[in-house]
Amino acid sequence: MPSQPPPHLAPYDRNNVFARILRGEAPCTKVYEDEFALAFDNIHPAAPVHVLVVPKGEYVSNADFSASAPDALIAGFWRAVARTATVLGLNESGYRLIANHGPDATQVVFHFHVHIMGGRQLRGVSSQAPVPGDGT
Amino acid sequence: MSTNSAAMTPAYDRNNIFAKILRGEAPCAKVYEDEYALAFKDIYPKAKVHVLAIPKGEYVSLTDFSQSAPPDMISGFWRAVTRVAEQLGVAGGYRIGSNVGPGGGQVVFHFHVHILSGPRQ
Repeated sequence: MPSQPPPHLAPYDRNNVFARILRGEAPCTKVYEDEFALAFDNIHPAAPVHVLVVPKGEYVSNADFSASAPDALIAGFWRAVARTATVLGLNESGYRLIANHGPDATQVVFHFHVHIMGGRQLRGVSSQAPVPGDGT
Repeated sequence: MSTNSAAMTPAYDRNNIFAKILRGEAPCAKVYEDEYALAFKDIYPKAKVHVLAIPKGEYVSLTDFSQSAPPDMISGFWRAVTRVAEQLGVAGGYRIGSNVGPGGGQVVFHFHVHILSGPRQ
């Protein structure tokens, strides 16, 4: 389901690494999967626990996903994010969710994804020091 | 209401500051509002643009909201976040962040996302 990205973002590239992971053409260390989303370890972790969650659909960014995806996929994706946090045991210890939108915000892979980071005491998202890099 | 099992996350407190803002009992610099969400400027901005978006419902955290809110509320909220970014003129680049639980740096226990863009302050 190709969608129309915002004009400042490149169109969806079906060969981006997360698309290849979703098709099983590239490896990942899977954490959680359902019909709406796949979660896997970030290969360049910026925290002891650093997992990426991607929707099963062709969306370049959070803005694209939120504007274009059907309600069921949006709700299913965010429920999957919560399940991933639960699987990781992060609801008790706490975690941070980050999504970078656009090249100006250091988005590197243009398949919408969110970062889940935990495993140590985190300062507030707005006081975090370096911008976390994307997984690849 | 909160139904999650987070050990360290408190139950929803109807007197938290964001609940008061939603009821009009505390002021805010409003940026956007629709039936699902309210967005206003963070009073302690950490970047040139720093806005908070909150859902119109009693959810303590991202996990609670994602587990418990009805699908149209979840999609409505996230669509509102995108509209906030467009309205702020930061669609070329911004970060969305949410802290979950005391260990995640969450301070106000009404689910909220930070929308950040521009140089840090």
